[in-house]
This record gives sequence, C-alpha cells and structure tokens, in this order.
Amino acid sequence: MKIRFALPPGPVSARALAAPSAEAEALLSRLDQNSFKPEPEEVLPILTDKGWRVLVGIGERAALDDATLRRIGGNLFAELAQAGIVHLAVGLDLSPEQTAQIAYGIQLRAWRTPLKYRKTPDEDEVWHLAEITMLCDAPEIARSCFARLESVGKAVHFARDLVVAPGNVLTPPAFVEALGDIPGIELEVIDPRKAGLNLLQAVGQGSAYKPALAVMRWRGADKKDKPAALVGKGITFDTGGIDIKPAKYMELMKGDMGGGAAVAGTLMALAARKAPVNVVGVVAIAENMVSGRASRPGDVVKGYGGLTVEIIDTDAEGRLALADALAYTSKELKPSKIIDLATLTGAVEIALGYLRAGLFTTDDALAARLLAAGEAEDEKLWRLPLVDVYDDAIKSEIADLKNCSWERGPDHIHAARFLQHFVPDDIPWAHLDIAGTSEAMEDGPLAAEGPTGFGVRLLDRVLA
Amino acid sequence: MKISFAKPASAHEGALVVTVREGRHLGATAQALDTESGGALAKVIAKSKFEGKKDQTLLLHAPAGLKLDRLLLVGIGKGKGFDAKAAQALGGTVVAQLQGSGDAEVTLAADAIEGSSLTAAEIAANAAFGARLRSYRFDRYRTKEKPEDKPSLKKLVISTADHGDAKKAFQPLDAVAEGVFMTRDLASEPANIIYPESLAEQAKTLAEHGIDVEVLGEKQMKKLGMGALLGVGQGSERESQLVVMRWNGGPDDQAPLAFIGKGVTFDTGGISIKPAGGMEDMKWDMGGSAVVIGLMKALALRKAKVNVVGVVGLVENMPSGTAQRPGDVVTTMSGQTVEVINTDAEGRLVLADALWYTQDRFKPQFMIDLATLTGAIIIALGDQYAGLFSNDDKLSDKLIAAGKAVGEGVWRMPVDDPYDKQIKSEIADMMNVGGREGGSITAAMFLKRFVNGVKWAHLDIAGVTWSKKDGPVTPKGATAFGVRLLDRLVADNYEK
Repeated sequence: MKIRFALPPGPVSARALAAPSAEAEALLSRLDQNSFKPEPEEVLPILTDKGWRVLVGIGERAALDDATLRRIGGNLFAELAQAGIVHLAVGLDLSPEQTAQIAYGIQLRAWRTPLKYRKTPDEDEVWHLAEITMLCDAPEIARSCFARLESVGKAVHFARDLVVAPGNVLTPPAFVEALGDIPGIELEVIDPRKAGLNLLQAVGQGSAYKPALAVMRWRGADKKDKPAALVGKGITFDTGGIDIKPAKYMELMKGDMGGGAAVAGTLMALAARKAPVNVVGVVAIAENMVSGRASRPGDVVKGYGGLTVEIIDTDAEGRLALADALAYTSKELKPSKIIDLATLTGAVEIALGYLRAGLFTTDDALAARLLAAGEAEDEKLWRLPLVDVYDDAIKSEIADLKNCSWERGPDHIHAARFLQHFVPDDIPWAHLDIAGTSEAMEDGPLAAEGPTGFGVRLLDRVLA
Repeated sequence: MKISFAKPASAHEGALVVTVREGRHLGATAQALDTESGGALAKVIAKSKFEGKKDQTLLLHAPAGLKLDRLLLVGIGKGKGFDAKAAQALGGTVVAQLQGSGDAEVTLAADAIEGSSLTAAEIAANAAFGARLRSYRFDRYRTKEKPEDKPSLKKLVISTADHGDAKKAFQPLDAVAEGVFMTRDLASEPANIIYPESLAEQAKTLAEHGIDVEVLGEKQMKKLGMGALLGVGQGSERESQLVVMRWNGGPDDQAPLAFIGKGVTFDTGGISIKPAGGMEDMKWDMGGSAVVIGLMKALALRKAKVNVVGVVGLVENMPSGTAQRPGDVVTTMSGQTVEVINTDAEGRLVLADALWYTQDRFKPQFMIDLATLTGAIIIALGDQYAGLFSNDDKLSDKLIAAGKAVGEGVWRMPVDDPYDKQIKSEIADMMNVGGREGGSITAAMFLKRFVNGVKWAHLDIAGVTWSKKDGPVTPKGATAFGVRLLDRLVADNYEK
C-alpha cells in the first residue's frame, strides 16, 4: 500500500477547506447521531452516486495531539482497507505536520501477517486499498515529516514480522541472520559457550540450534560518547524446557522473542533516520527446548561475571538469558544506561493486563523519561516496585541466587530483582516486562490483533 | 504486657536493653555499664560479630563485672536517619528477643541517639509503641498452653530522663495501638464467632468511646435499594448488616472524612465456590471492615479533632438454596445494574452499595475504602505493598507519604478508562469480573462507578492483611494494615 502527499484539487483560493465541506455537510445532515458522531476514530464510508465518500470524525481541532491523529489514521485504515475502495484521497484540512501524523497512523496499522505463510491469501487478509493520497497545503513539508516517521513505522513492521514468524522459521540462526540484514547496523555474534555466557548457554543447550548473543551497533554520535544499551530477550521458541508448558496455547510461545524484536526494530529505526546517538542493541538468542541435553531443575550454573544461579524452573528462562546479556553489556560495552525488554512473566499480565507494560527501575529520572515517552507514543508503562524486601523469593539453598520461587506471589517483581543483580549500581538501568503488551488480544487503532511491535516507538523516542 | 516510663535507675539490675550505634559506638547507658564493668563490656563486644548495625543484636547472660542477669545490646545503625519507625522497630526487637527469656520485667534504656532528629522522649515513646505492637498475641482459644510456652515478659520499663514527656508522647500512640489490637482481634476471630451481627455488636462497643453507632439490617437496606450487598448475603443464614460509625471531633460544619470497609465475615465464594485448600483464610475477608472499626477506635481514643464516618458492609458469602447464582442481575443502590458472573467477586458488590450510600448520605471530603478484594493484587504487589487506586493525585500522594512514615507501604496502580471495557456486560450495565489479566485494576474500575465523582481512594489489602512471618512490629497473623496508615493520614493532613 502506497502513501502519497499532494495538494488538494482546485485553485488555491477555493481551497479554504474549513471542514466540513459542503458535500460533507450535506451528507451529515442526512445522518442521525447513531450513524456517525464526529469524534476521533469515527469513520463512516458511504457509497454515493459520485463514488465512495468517507466521513472522518476528528473531534475538537484544538484537542488534536499527535497520538490522537495517529489513532485517527490507524482507524481510518482499519475501517477502509477492505471496504472496496482502491484509491483514497484524505483531505482533513490539517497542517502538514498533522497530516504526516495521520499518515503515520495509517502506516502503523497497515501491517498484516506476511502472506508468504500461505499458498493463497485468506479473504480476510486481502486489502482493496492500494494507494492513499494525503491532501494538504504543503505536501512537501508533510512528505519530509512523514519520511522520518515512516522509517520508525517500517521498523515497527520489521519487529512484528519477527514476532509472528513461526519457531521453525525464526530459529536462533535465522534470527541472527535477520539482525545481520538490518541496513546500517554492525553485527557481532558471540558464542555463549566460548564467552562464558553459561546461563544463556544453559537455556539454549536443549535445542538443536546453538544459542547466540547478538550485539548490534549504531554509531550516530561522537565516538567518545558512551552508547545507550538496549537488551532484549530473544527466545525464538519457549517450550518451557523440562518444566514443559501445557499444550494449550503453546504456539504463542513463538513470540517469546518480542523484546529482542523491539531492540532490533529500534536499531533499524535509528539507523534509517540517522539518529545522532550511539546505541548498542544486545539480543540474547536461544531456543528453550526439551531434550536429553536440556537443563534440569536444580542445575546450578555460573553466569557471566561469576554469580551462580540455581535453576528452579526451566521455564523461568528469560531471566537467565537476560542476566548474562546484562552482565556482558555492563562489563564489555560500557554503556551510559541500559534498558531491557522482555516478554518475561505471566504475573505482569495479572498485575497490569494488556494495556500497560511493567517498568522497573531505581532511577527516577530514567523512569520519568520512559513513562512520558510511553504516554506520548501510546505504548504505556506503569512503574512497579523494585526493592529488596522481595529478595527472600530468590534466595537459594545452594547458589547465590535461584531463578524463581514456587510460592504464589509477584514473580514479575522477583524477576526484576533477579536481573538487578547482574547490573552494577552505577549504570542507570530500566527493565520493561512486555509480556502483556507485545501482542494484542484484540484489534486496536495502531495494531490489529497480534504482534504490536511494542517498544520500538517508545525507545526511538526515548533515545532521540 | 505493661509498659511504664521511669527515670534511669542508679543501679543496673535484672534484664536490661541498651543501644549501640554502628561502629560499636556505645549509647550513654552502655558506656556507663562499660565503665562499671571496668571495660569488660567493650572487650566482649569487640570479640563478637556485633558491630551495632541495624537489626543486629547481642544477648549477654550474666555479663562479667555487672550485676545484671541479662543484657541485650541492640544495633541501631548509623544514628542519622534513626526515625520514629526505627525507634518502633527497636521496641519491637526488645519484645521479640526477650518475651520468652524468662524475665518478667525488662528495662529498655532509651538513650538519646547521636545524629537522630528524635528527642530522647520521642525515642522512648516510639520504642514503647513498637514494643506494644509487637507484644500482640491472639491466644484466646489455647486452653492447654503450658506456662513455659507463654511469654514470660509482663512488664517493660522504658527508662529515660524525660519520662514525663515520653509518657505524654506515648498516649496518642497507645490509642492507635488499641485500635490496631481491636482490628487484629476481629480479623483473627473465626467465622463462627464473628459473623455480620456479632461484628456489628463489636462495632457497637465503640459507643463507650463517644462514637455514634448505627446498624442497618436487611429490611432497611432493602428499602434503600442495596441489591448488590444483599445479593451477596442472601445465601447465608446470618443477616447482613451495614454499620455506620461517626466520630465528631471537628467543627459541626465540617464535612466528614469517610472510610469504608469490606466486611465479608466468611467468604466461601458462594455458588462459585473456592477450592478447599486455604479456604480457612477467608475468615479474614472482613479485614477492611476490621481496619475501619479499629481506626474509629484509635481516633476516638486520641480525641482526634476531625469529623469522621466509618461505614462497613457486613455479609457472609455462603452457597445455599437461597444463594445468588452466576448470571443473576442485581440492581445497586445507585440504580446501576450488575451481572454477577462470579459469585466469588463479591467484595466489590458489597462496596458498591456501601460507597454509594456513604457519598449520598454524608457528602464527605473524600472516601477511602479498604478491602481484601482480589487475588490479583497478591500477584501484582506481593505482601509488601497494598494496591492504591485513586481518582485524585493529591489524596494519593498523602496516602503514599503516610504509608512511608508508618511503614505500611501503598503502591499506586492505574485506573485508566481503557480497562473499563473488560467489565462490559451483555445484559446489564456491568459485570462483576473482568478476567484474570489486570484483575485488581478492573475491580477498582468497577468501584469507581459507585463513587459519583467524589475524591476517592481504594486500598486493595488482600496481600498485606495477614502475614506469614513476623515483622518488626507485627507478629505473624493479622497485621491490621491500614489502621496506622490512615490514622497518620488524618493526623498529618486533616486535624489542623
């Protein structure tokens, strides 16, 4: 689907688009309140003798912030993609910047599962809409505003493509390869066995595929500037290991690399828009499988940096993989700060549902920046406690730490406290538990049911 | 256990407790003892691991060169930052360490502490408060306990030069302790003893402290249209009750502060019955109401200069031939209808009518409700924080500050409109459950529909009402979480 920008038809003098136009007025006057309310996200296509006409509610113009504009755009696409309209012109009498935000919303929503997984596309997946022309008074300005946004949007699509990819397609080596293909990014692949990343190795050792620590670099600022580090959990498929998960819905575990996908997407966006920052993206990649080589409950493993961990539950594997990634990043990459993302716990879904991701940090300034970016991007966070009173749950009888407790309790907090042991106190660090937000359970304005790409826009904004 | 304040004695005998700052800095009394022992005390300490760090203790039996039977050294950390909470923990430590020592009487030397912002009298009063709180025991039903298994400690003397000031400062704290004990008693009592009518009777005893107590029965509630509360209780043989308690310590024209408590005296889950394992814990599903009752007592005993109304909805949730069924639709006092999807999400039904009634009748400055409401909050925050849900930032900040001051932490959780759609019903205005995910949030969203725009905070105390382990000033069991928090909220913000 193409998005273009153009001037509205007709002479400039006649283009006072003080909405609604006469034609829209005429249509509106024939509709009752129940058919259409001119509020944001309301869309009504009407087939007239002149062709399709679409009424788009925008509410009060003064209240149109970027987030609202994107939702309007996203909803517009969702409502019209399969309405039978092939070419749509959108003239909402908005500024070029606002027009670009509408286009961005359209782009974000205009993603679907790649059709390559079927021989013939399903009816539901066919979009009739092939081209959208955004009309505004300064299309050049709108186009250039959109170019920057579009590069982020493409990265969001990339992240979603990764999350939706089946476990037999996006295997650990395939994930590494996908990261290597990101334009403008330098990739280093570290073998956990050789580098002493034994926790990551322990998670991946049951699989036929080798685990890997992928280190991506984007250098957009002065060489001397310490990079910000993004660390992602990249479990390409999580069976749970020896503590195997129930069969029901296990197929969703192909998405257990959502954190890694968000990190990869963010690096892609930063490189595409040549962001003037230094960023390293680190993804702990492994497949958690059941086999004769798999880690057992009770195994004790020495992590990178020396802390030992008793593996209580092989299905609490994300924190093991991340622990090594965090320790390695802290020591070897000398970052200015670390933000990690992981589809880490079911508990965070009980705590916050599907509308907000859990934010854990001891750094108030970093928390404030992340929370604000989340609100602005509609990728909302909620801060949860990270204090030592929860530590009894991860005290081991045999090792420095255990990876979880069987007691009923706040596993997402225990997980965050566990991770905290692998980051030195002097590096500002935040952990985002995105288990509830990485995939949407229902259609939303910017993403249909399925992978959301949660984190890419948030991090792009925080780092910019 | 009796607590008294006295001047430091000239001779040190019996059992004594002294404080030591980090780095083995002896407090004044400890120093005097060291001198008396000819330096033996310092030598003993030097040989031990005891450095005076916070929470460290060293118990010496028949210390050399002294007439004492027992000497307990308590580490208090750096001294700077030794606040009221730390002083309370000191008192709690004394009781925890010595209540079974065999000593009937123990003296705590509450010396001034270098670096602390507290006066010696404040230290003494708070240590007494902590000791009192920690000495709580619910042993009503132990008929054959051997004397040696009972606490030996009968009397704690707190010695301080300013014993008069200390005694004065202890009075309001002692009132709060009384409230806390009432709350712990009520929550600890089994459900065959505490049921709606007997709990209402307990509330009525507050009349002797100057509180007006009114009890509404099922007939009156039916007249008021409290279909949600009554629906929960209709499976039980016991009659549901709504108790209204009023303390008028402020000016006549002052709008009251309102505290509302969930009082499900036993929660079987109803027709959506709970699993057997752990069901006995459901006797304390009236924890919210117990806090409100205990708080009212504390405020009255310390003659708080404020108008307060406490409202508790008391029901027993039982399965029976008359119980409500999943799918039933009930009409609340507000007129809004609720489809009861799960009869075990009953607390919010009780609170819905209690909240509406409270704002409708009393036009309060704010409403704060407390409820052991959801299992989800135990997952969300564990046993360290209560969940705070509020439509008012200022009230939230005050609650968070009060919680920090007394050591009853509250953590704010979201009440965003998007969560609202999880409780949409196909038949009524709302459902009483919104699924597993964000379960505490959707419960709060439900309650929010019954506050009618009044400033409101909801404390989900399901994770903090009962403790499996001893805390500094809270023995395991019923914690009375909320009494000290709300007493502090009122004292710091609404009595000026």
